[in-house]
Amino acid sequence: MSLKTSRNLRNAGLNGALLAPALTLVLVFVLLPAAITFVGSFFSFGITSSAWTWAGMGNYTRAFADPIFWVALKNNLIIIFGSILSQVGLGAIIAAILDRGIKRGTTAYRTIIFMPVVISSVAVSLIWMLIYDPNVGSLNALVKAIGLTPPKLGWLGDPSISIWMVLVTAAWANVGFQMVLILAGLQAIPRELYEAAALDGAKGLKAFWHITLPGIRNILIVGVLITTIGGLKVFDLIFVMTGGGPANATQVMGTYIYLQAFNLGNMGYANALSIILLLIALLMGVAQLKLSRRG
Amino acid sequence: MPSLQITNLEKHYQSFHALKAISLDIEDGEFVVMVGPSGCGKSTLLRSIAGLETVDSGTITIKGRDVTHQEPSDRGVAMVFQNYALYPHMTVAQNMGFNLQIAGRPKAEISAAVERAAKILRITDHLHKFPKALSGGQKQRVAIGRAITRSPDVFLFDEPLSNLDAALRTQMRVELGRLHAELGTTMIYVTHDQVEAMTMADRIVVMRDGIIEQVGSPLDLYNRPANQFVAGFLGSPRMNFLSATVTAIADAAVTLKIDAIAASMTLSTDETSAGLAVGDVVRLGFRPETAHRNGGDGLTLPARVRVVESLGRETLVYADAGDIRSIDSESQDGFFAVHQSEQLRFDYDAPFDITVPADALYLFDASGKTRRYARRSA
Amino acid sequence: MKRFRAVSIGLHLFVSVWALFVLAPVLWMVMAGFRNRLELFKDPLGLPTGLNFDAFVRAWNTGIANFILNSVFVTVISVILIVVTSGIAAYVLARSESKALKLIYVLIVASFAVPSQSVLVPLYQIISGAGLLNSLFAIVLPYAAYGIPFTTVLFYAFFLEFPRELEEAARLDGCSRLQVITRIVLPLSGSAIASAAIFQAVFIWNEFLLALLLLTDTSIKTLPLGMLNLRGQFSSDWPAIMAGVTIVTAPMLILFILAQRYFVRSLAGLGK
Repeated sequence: MSLKTSRNLRNAGLNGALLAPALTLVLVFVLLPAAITFVGSFFSFGITSSAWTWAGMGNYTRAFADPIFWVALKNNLIIIFGSILSQVGLGAIIAAILDRGIKRGTTAYRTIIFMPVVISSVAVSLIWMLIYDPNVGSLNALVKAIGLTPPKLGWLGDPSISIWMVLVTAAWANVGFQMVLILAGLQAIPRELYEAAALDGAKGLKAFWHITLPGIRNILIVGVLITTIGGLKVFDLIFVMTGGGPANATQVMGTYIYLQAFNLGNMGYANALSIILLLIALLMGVAQLKLSRRG
Repeated sequence: MPSLQITNLEKHYQSFHALKAISLDIEDGEFVVMVGPSGCGKSTLLRSIAGLETVDSGTITIKGRDVTHQEPSDRGVAMVFQNYALYPHMTVAQNMGFNLQIAGRPKAEISAAVERAAKILRITDHLHKFPKALSGGQKQRVAIGRAITRSPDVFLFDEPLSNLDAALRTQMRVELGRLHAELGTTMIYVTHDQVEAMTMADRIVVMRDGIIEQVGSPLDLYNRPANQFVAGFLGSPRMNFLSATVTAIADAAVTLKIDAIAASMTLSTDETSAGLAVGDVVRLGFRPETAHRNGGDGLTLPARVRVVESLGRETLVYADAGDIRSIDSESQDGFFAVHQSEQLRFDYDAPFDITVPADALYLFDASGKTRRYARRSA
Repeated sequence: MKRFRAVSIGLHLFVSVWALFVLAPVLWMVMAGFRNRLELFKDPLGLPTGLNFDAFVRAWNTGIANFILNSVFVTVISVILIVVTSGIAAYVLARSESKALKLIYVLIVASFAVPSQSVLVPLYQIISGAGLLNSLFAIVLPYAAYGIPFTTVLFYAFFLEFPRELEEAARLDGCSRLQVITRIVLPLSGSAIASAAIFQAVFIWNEFLLALLLLTDTSIKTLPLGMLNLRGQFSSDWPAIMAGVTIVTAPMLILFILAQRYFVRSLAGLGK
């Protein structure tokens, strides 16, 4: 064969060998399972049973009729939007302050505020479970100390507020992440832009609007995207802190799928819920990217 | 035997036709400079010779071997990059000796070769340093040193002086000339700077839009450019061009009209007026150093001074000739450039009647091809 | 000038409040470990009376040492696997022009959107079907698979910026494509490798869901599961639980404080 062809083949061979390990792992453990989930959602079967009975759209219609499904979805949305506001919002404000607002101690602040990000979510859950504990928890003690009465059913035991308490914990754990992300974006804005703006008469708030915000637009989009996907994937905090209770009040899609699949053995139904979750994730991801491109 | 032969080289980047049937022979030991505007294909051609780009068809032969599909390391070439491309994690000595190390040469041989190259380039004191501790000029020397240790059949230079400041560039130009004289290896040099081309080349290859416009020695190309593009490319400040209409044609003479001014020129025996017709719009060209304001025979353009650049030993005057505008100039303002080899002063708007002797005029037809060459150069 | 000062103090206050909010729970965690149940009940907000290590001993005896070993093993192997496979894949993808390879890149990036929860069921079935349940090696493979998309994107962006002239110079110097990778690209990729490794290490060390699913045998559980174990074993013995959490969290916190620059840098790279 010609020199040209053998050279091309050798290159292709090397490329293939370098791509293969990553590609194989992703295919086998991510894409193949995704495909199986999709197919399996149209059947019903148990954990160990190899007998798959056709259910058509049955699992999906079951989901729409299932009140807990809607509770779970609602909770995911609460967490998503609550997280965007608290984590991206606060993270941005703190980042802005650390970038140009104050001069000293920025490294110390940054280190402290980022700390919870490296703590395991299980540890975070346990720490906050103690704080929320009605008998020995610090929150009750603080509330009583300023003369108010804590909720009778407990912070996590009261169905109307438990999801919000989880949101507070999530914010505590993740604001640091968004802060560092946005801070990196802020520091990438060339100082000369601010100097030029000052000469043009735009300082303080005007500079923030015309220079800072456009400069971190992309990072904010990434931050919102990460928070959204995180909000859809939330599992650890709920599983450990409330187990989905009280009475399914804090159930989210992740924990509900786990419940259906591994506690109740409804694999097919769990698959359908998984596909719905995946579709919502793709939809929200695409919608956010589209919105971001128009701006 | 030519040390490098390129035959009918073709290269496409997707739908962009980068090299169009390029053919070129380069003799052993020649210093050939390839010039042209951005996108003309000179870098693509150089990289194709190096093997860093593949070609669609055609052949490249080095010292008689067909290297068209060979790996870059098997072609017997070495390249000096515009951004030096020194390995940041290796010392200068390691950078220069790397290619020998890959080839498995014994340590003693490697250090001897590195020392030799370092001596030629006078960087022996820097051998143990890392690239980031060096200045731009020093880095460039190391890059050249790395090429030297390869003992290539052909040296390739890709705009090596573009990143250096003006003073350093002048110094390195001289150095490279000295290097070529000392080593005697064939060198192919790509640049967009026509001063480098004029001062360093044995032969210049002028390229535009993927084709070779003209090949020749610097003075050949300067005095006898094949077309308006080459005429305007070499020479700084640029040749002045203006529009004219043919009013009469004879076998050995052409008469033209520029606005209200008439001019006529004679053609010599190797030039022909064939294909020119009365009424054709053509271009006249004259180099700034051939024009003066002392009146006399030739083409006279009444003008007024607009910009004066006084460089001590010479003066450049840019004058506005009213309705007669210079065309295809770099500054697009329609002024004519006149060069005088003495120190002069002028007031703004002072009258300056530009006189160009008839035998300093070039004639280009509508397609750009040169029909008549100037007989004198200053 | 005075107004400037007031604003500056106000901003400091704002950030300090949040910083305090962040620190307080961590402090409570550590302090709770040094007290006993009665003290905690009587005065939740009080300081410990002395350095009482009882709770720590109780927590340690649940087998934390073993969990630490398991976590170390899983994290180290997974991170190595992720960094190596993603790095070489990203290099090929960043250097190629072919449409097929661009498609493969999109495929890998798209996998990032697949949450591990959506595929719990088949993942469980594939792993148990292969008889690999409760094997530390087996959890390493899915961990790698879920870490690859993000890391590949990180390396891809890095290699796009990597100066190609260095690789071209190396080819002209006689290097084969493999040698270009090992002798030039690899030594100069330190920062990207560090960023990717740190990010994935923290993520895998703290990973909970897949571990919960695939590691049911106590002897091979990783730390997050071990901590959950604490809750199960001690139910309302909070000092013991908090002592256990402190033991587990402290190393990561200390490591973070010492090397916080690198953590931050790896996140900064993420933004792109």
